[in-house]
Amino acid sequence: MWSSMKAQALDTNRGDSLASSHVMELTNVSKRYRSGGGVADVSLSINQGEVFGFLGPNGAGKTTIIRLLLDLIRPNTGEIKLFGLDSRADSVAIRRRIGYIPGDLGLYERLTPREILTHFAYLRDKIPWSKVTPLIDELDLEIDKPVRTLSKGNRQKVGLVAAFMGDPELLLLDEPTSGLDPLVQQQIHELVRRAAFEGRTVFLSSHILSEVGEMAERVGLIRAGQLIAVERVVDLAKRSSHLIDISFESPPDPNFLSSLEGLRSASVVGNQLRAEVSGDLNPVIALIATAHVTDLSIREPGLEEMFLTFYEQPHA
Amino acid sequence: MPRSAPRNLHSVFERSMREVRRSLLGWLVGIVGFSLIMLSIFPTIHGNAGFAQLINAYPEALRKLFDVSDYTTGPGYLRSEVFSFMAPLLLAIFAILWGADLTAGEEERRTIDTLLATPVSRQRVVAEKWLALATAVGVLALALEVLLGVVGPLFKLHVGWAPLSAAIIGSGLFALSFGTLSMAIGAGTGSRGFARGVSAAVAVVMYLISTLSQLVEWLKPWRWTSLWYHALGFDPLSHGFNVGHLLVLVACVAVLVVAAITLFTRRDFSN
Repeated sequence: MWSSMKAQALDTNRGDSLASSHVMELTNVSKRYRSGGGVADVSLSINQGEVFGFLGPNGAGKTTIIRLLLDLIRPNTGEIKLFGLDSRADSVAIRRRIGYIPGDLGLYERLTPREILTHFAYLRDKIPWSKVTPLIDELDLEIDKPVRTLSKGNRQKVGLVAAFMGDPELLLLDEPTSGLDPLVQQQIHELVRRAAFEGRTVFLSSHILSEVGEMAERVGLIRAGQLIAVERVVDLAKRSSHLIDISFESPPDPNFLSSLEGLRSASVVGNQLRAEVSGDLNPVIALIATAHVTDLSIREPGLEEMFLTFYEQPHA
Repeated sequence: MPRSAPRNLHSVFERSMREVRRSLLGWLVGIVGFSLIMLSIFPTIHGNAGFAQLINAYPEALRKLFDVSDYTTGPGYLRSEVFSFMAPLLLAIFAILWGADLTAGEEERRTIDTLLATPVSRQRVVAEKWLALATAVGVLALALEVLLGVVGPLFKLHVGWAPLSAAIIGSGLFALSFGTLSMAIGAGTGSRGFARGVSAAVAVVMYLISTLSQLVEWLKPWRWTSLWYHALGFDPLSHGFNVGHLLVLVACVAVLVVAAITLFTRRDFSN
């Protein structure tokens, strides 16, 4: 879960003065496919050392953005800079500093993971094998069976080792946990956390909101090719509401919480008061402390609920 | 379990060769088998007056179409049985199949994403893949040369090294042209089937232009448009190397390599 420690680190490390250290900068980027779809007029900046979550339903344009960053496809309009370099003209220099795992990972079926990883280690500026083996051991990957005999989880591990080997400055992870068992998902989360801890930048896409909330500091929401919003997860949490159940010894006054600014709704069922409160929780706790309470539950909303609350309500 | 990294996968070229290894071995076995069968038949034909009479009794059109003049001599036999169709065809089929696979196959299997995310330029990827294609075609051509030139005399088949090499190099460059065409179309479209189909069709048309131009008078001025003519149609087994024809083939391969690189570099690899 989103820890307060991480939130603190976010606040101290990322001031407004870091505009010059953008690892990635998209300016009015549009890409239309002949078959329809694509992205329209996307502008986005990612700071160095940030874990950025890119959220959206399948087909919304997440993969398109990642492929544009890698120069696998070219924008119709707009400008893309990575490490201050042009995504097209300086693509090779940029890719030298990137680790990538595609959403739909293809592997050389006739080769073994050992052969595949050797190949990519060499293509990525001859990363020494001694830097690859710790990752293989950590993920407990069997590397001498042909790729075609591997399970989905093990195939993805091959892709993960290929992406994370050599500690690239920027990791582009396209739906890295999709369709994997929880154990492998946890291993991926761990790899991302460590990369972030080491000051490397992670750009990851997902259609699972809770997962992004767990790893990312900022989240971008993309829908039908449009980047709808970019929010810090802590800000989202502040704006979102909490569900509070308070049990009393006797039926409470329905107006018990009505002095709260963030109160959205309140209802009494028997001895229990159920309320939805947005914003800061401290005034709520202070108020509850004045009464004799037999039970209390405060449920934190998931990222999905946060987004829904946020975008259902018009913000001035 | 070895704990070291394998040594034959340091480049796109090496990986391509590693991937084609087994298939190439199969083609080698096929070419050796084909050559040995052709050679083993030759002693019964060699110097057989009856055969010569039989062949001469064919209508002239048929003799030209199947290239069966002086069938009972070594070069004549090779011309009609090996180089009139089969040997260049085998090499070309291999090259067309693998050429498309090198570009479009990598895309269809989705391995292109991770490959092009490495710091290797697209130009280099195509160049190395083409080098692998040329190497593989060269291996098959060399096998054919050794079999016909070294093993041939054991079956009383004698042919000069220069005419034989001219025919082999012609066949190899013909195959490489269409392999490169297949690679270029695959790079431009991402479809293996389309690349192979178009390349094979063009190869057949060129074969027909060259062969039929011996029979059809109005085609004769156009035979220079056929790569088959420059490869084998001018009869290298009688005339040996011809610098002009060789240059046409080499130039054609070079142009197609540039086309493949250009198409691949400009491609959008979307999913």
